[in-house]
Amino acid sequence: MLRILDRAEEVLIAALIATATVLIFVSVTHRFTLGFVADFVGFFRGHGMTGAAAAAKSLYTTLRGINLVWAQELCIILFVWMAKFGAAYGVRTGIHVGIDVLINRLDAPKRRFFILLGLGAGALFTGIIATLGANFVLHMYHASSTSPDLELPMWLVYLAIPMGSSLMCFRFLQVAFGFARTGELPHHDHGHVDGVDTENEGIDAEGDVLLHSPLTPRDLVEKPKDN
Amino acid sequence: MSALIIFGLLIALMLTGMPISISLGLTVLTFLFTMTQVPIDTVALKLFTGIEKFEIMAIPFFILAGNFLTHGGVAKRMINFATAMVGHWHGGLGLAGVIACALFAAVSGSSPATVVAIGSVILPAMVNQGFPKQFGAGVITTSGALGILIPPSIVMVMYAVATSGMVVTGPDGQPVSSASVGELFMAGVVPGLMLAGFLAFTTWNRARKFGYPRLEKASLRQRWTAFREAAWGLMLIVVVIGGIYAGIFTPTEAAAMSAVYAFFISVFVYKDLTLRDVPRVLLSSANMSAMLLYIITNAVLFSFLMAHEGIPQALGEWMVNAGLSWWMFLIIVNILLLAAGNFMEPSSIVLIMAPILFPVAVRLGIDPVHFGIMIVVNMEVGMCHPPVGLNLYVASGITKMGITELTVAVWPWLLTMLAFLVLVTYVPAISLALPNLLGM
Repeated sequence: MLRILDRAEEVLIAALIATATVLIFVSVTHRFTLGFVADFVGFFRGHGMTGAAAAAKSLYTTLRGINLVWAQELCIILFVWMAKFGAAYGVRTGIHVGIDVLINRLDAPKRRFFILLGLGAGALFTGIIATLGANFVLHMYHASSTSPDLELPMWLVYLAIPMGSSLMCFRFLQVAFGFARTGELPHHDHGHVDGVDTENEGIDAEGDVLLHSPLTPRDLVEKPKDN
Repeated sequence: MSALIIFGLLIALMLTGMPISISLGLTVLTFLFTMTQVPIDTVALKLFTGIEKFEIMAIPFFILAGNFLTHGGVAKRMINFATAMVGHWHGGLGLAGVIACALFAAVSGSSPATVVAIGSVILPAMVNQGFPKQFGAGVITTSGALGILIPPSIVMVMYAVATSGMVVTGPDGQPVSSASVGELFMAGVVPGLMLAGFLAFTTWNRARKFGYPRLEKASLRQRWTAFREAAWGLMLIVVVIGGIYAGIFTPTEAAAMSAVYAFFISVFVYKDLTLRDVPRVLLSSANMSAMLLYIITNAVLFSFLMAHEGIPQALGEWMVNAGLSWWMFLIIVNILLLAAGNFMEPSSIVLIMAPILFPVAVRLGIDPVHFGIMIVVNMEVGMCHPPVGLNLYVASGITKMGITELTVAVWPWLLTMLAFLVLVTYVPAISLALPNLLGM
């Protein structure tokens, strides 16, 4: 069951960021194309190319009929949902940054206490927010207000707060329980940027990494003075 | 008094090691529940409206673009291009590393991404060529910090977001509005290129002094080939900066376009990334973005609390009445930010400090854009020194050097950065020249 939840969480946030990106790309491209086609209409008319002008005008009318005014609003909604659910995923992967300089210097029992305190505080905060959010959504449901462009019911839009915070609260409790049992925490290495395998490409890697570079060392024969 | 309680509580919670976002949120809730009459429902509303500004959406887009580029072999081609151009000078590959970092910084908004993308390729090559490991690590750790000064920059977006909507009274009583993302991006160009030049000079000087290796001078054909291969990546600079300046895109739209463009060149042009890898890139980008957006959400709550309590205004009044001049204030700000850089990462510092310091700066006649650039340069320095300098940890992962050893390795470049910080602090023209020239 937990594995399904984990997978659903991953798929959801990846899908949200992808959809938002494509949406804005399409919106900007659409706006651009409209401008270009309008310029072509003017150009063709100015040069007496009536057939081409008519075709361009027809394309312009078609494009003009596609209304993407709502794209920006939807993008914001998608990202807010991504932020709320992504924050819960971040608890699971240990990406949330804190000042651990001091607690890392404490002895094991004290460090354990402070880590559990931090996780408990996280669960408390997100639990309170989930409750406040649920109340707020309930008010919105009865108020029946809608978003400006998409005209979505606002309670549906704001549902991200109680849902995301509830999941985040659950994740904090899950991590706290796991830590109390095993003493292990999920840890995201902020010193590693995903995408480059530094394990295999350590400083002592053999051979010149700049394989395709036609440049060769000039004075390798001279031993450089040490720093 | 309320300011002392708020900050005391925040610092106490932070020192327990809990996530900064949670510390901010709990501080606000504790204060609101116990000491004010603010309707608690506003908290839930703020958690949504706090991040529903379209400018904020630039952050996930730039992170996504940066991740595609880090995966997508763009860095390798930029290094080849930089090497072809300056490899024959003193410092050879080290100098090429600085230039490659500057180029990669112009397409990525993150410093750690710049360090890992450039460092993982160039550092092994430098060692193989006879450079001491410390020299290479020092060059790349500090040059990678250009990632947040040369636009696009996630930290600049953070500053714009943290101060957005603030209209503060200037010294002459006229209203001064906060800096836009576009203004900050343009303002970052000259300081970014200057700092790259300073770091390159430090690299060249040390290489000449210690007799480090150089490369054969590349022929014009070799340079052209290297440029042609890197051109797809370099075009991204035109897309983002050119697009924003020409008024074709808003910064957020430029970020989205750069993400799609980065995806396209990584998967279909350079083919260093397969379609099967894309979900992993999306997930890691969403993870990092969500963490930053969650900090922003709670920082907005925190700013709301401070504004409600009138803390920034009171601080401004107090400083003006104390007869503090603008240059004295900037010394204090620099010390404060450098100190904060010892314990926190840049996003958190900017989101917490900027809303407090910005009104005071404006009251003392400091330009919002200049102030923003100064904060960003401070953050760069913070990324290169312990205990939480992210660039050090990235470089440590690549070089397998300890943090202490790395700290010693970076000091010549770190001193250069500190000298540049003084320069950028007290010569506003460095930051304001380009925006003024472009009529922004």
